[in-house]
Amino acid sequence: MDPSSTTALVDLVRRAQRGDESAQREIILNYQHRVAGFVYAMTSRSDSVEDLAQQVFIKMIRALNGLQAPAQFESWLFRLARNTCIDHLRRQKLRRIFLPFAPEHEGVPEPLGAVDTEELDALRYAISQLRPQDRALLALVQEGRSHAEIAETLKTSVAAVKARLHRAREQLRLHYQSDHET
Amino acid sequence: MKPENQAWDQLFERAASILSPNFADRVLRAARAGVDAAPSMLSQFALGAVTAVICFGAVALFQVRSAQQEDSRTMSDWQQIAMAADDSGLPQ
Repeated sequence: MDPSSTTALVDLVRRAQRGDESAQREIILNYQHRVAGFVYAMTSRSDSVEDLAQQVFIKMIRALNGLQAPAQFESWLFRLARNTCIDHLRRQKLRRIFLPFAPEHEGVPEPLGAVDTEELDALRYAISQLRPQDRALLALVQEGRSHAEIAETLKTSVAAVKARLHRAREQLRLHYQSDHET
Repeated sequence: MKPENQAWDQLFERAASILSPNFADRVLRAARAGVDAAPSMLSQFALGAVTAVICFGAVALFQVRSAQQEDSRTMSDWQQIAMAADDSGLPQ
């Protein structure tokens, strides 16, 4: 990110922190597609994307005052998105413990209108085989974020990000190829 | 280019197409109304804990009441036996 855009982002975030609704709206418009992509990568379900993205932005608006460094906004937002998705996946897992889901319920097809290409299906399958932490890592990389930014988002070191990323990529490729070849 | 890169692009495009055109306005309205789509893990746990405490309290109360009723019934039975013994002049 160049310095001028960083300054513009900091100004925008400061205005949003003061409760300026047009600034909050601008932030949502700027980031909604990226957050939706991240959520889709985390959950592999198109029917939960809009609800979860909405939850992320509502949490953002409520917690924005607590953000001390507006320059770190993007890392903070994607950390919020990651935690929201992990909470959602955890709740789903808990629900499966208490509700007797039959195996056929696990593979409920995507809603109508969500006809995906073979590649996208294979990718969604491969992602769903990974741990949520690894999904977040891969989604952030694909989003174009640097190792340092990812380390900041995930509150870990750059070396740890590189090591985990290498493993996650290997696993993704393995599952992607196995599904794509069948 | 890795084979899955094209699929990643499709995934992000697909995700962007899912959002409704008035998404930002919906979020702002929901935030203003204080509506959160799903209750938090903590609130669900708190609700479960409160329910468990209420159930435990109700069971304990029922138990104490039953014991008290049983005691008073036993006491009155003994009193009747003692009075019957008095009336019949049996040695106590």
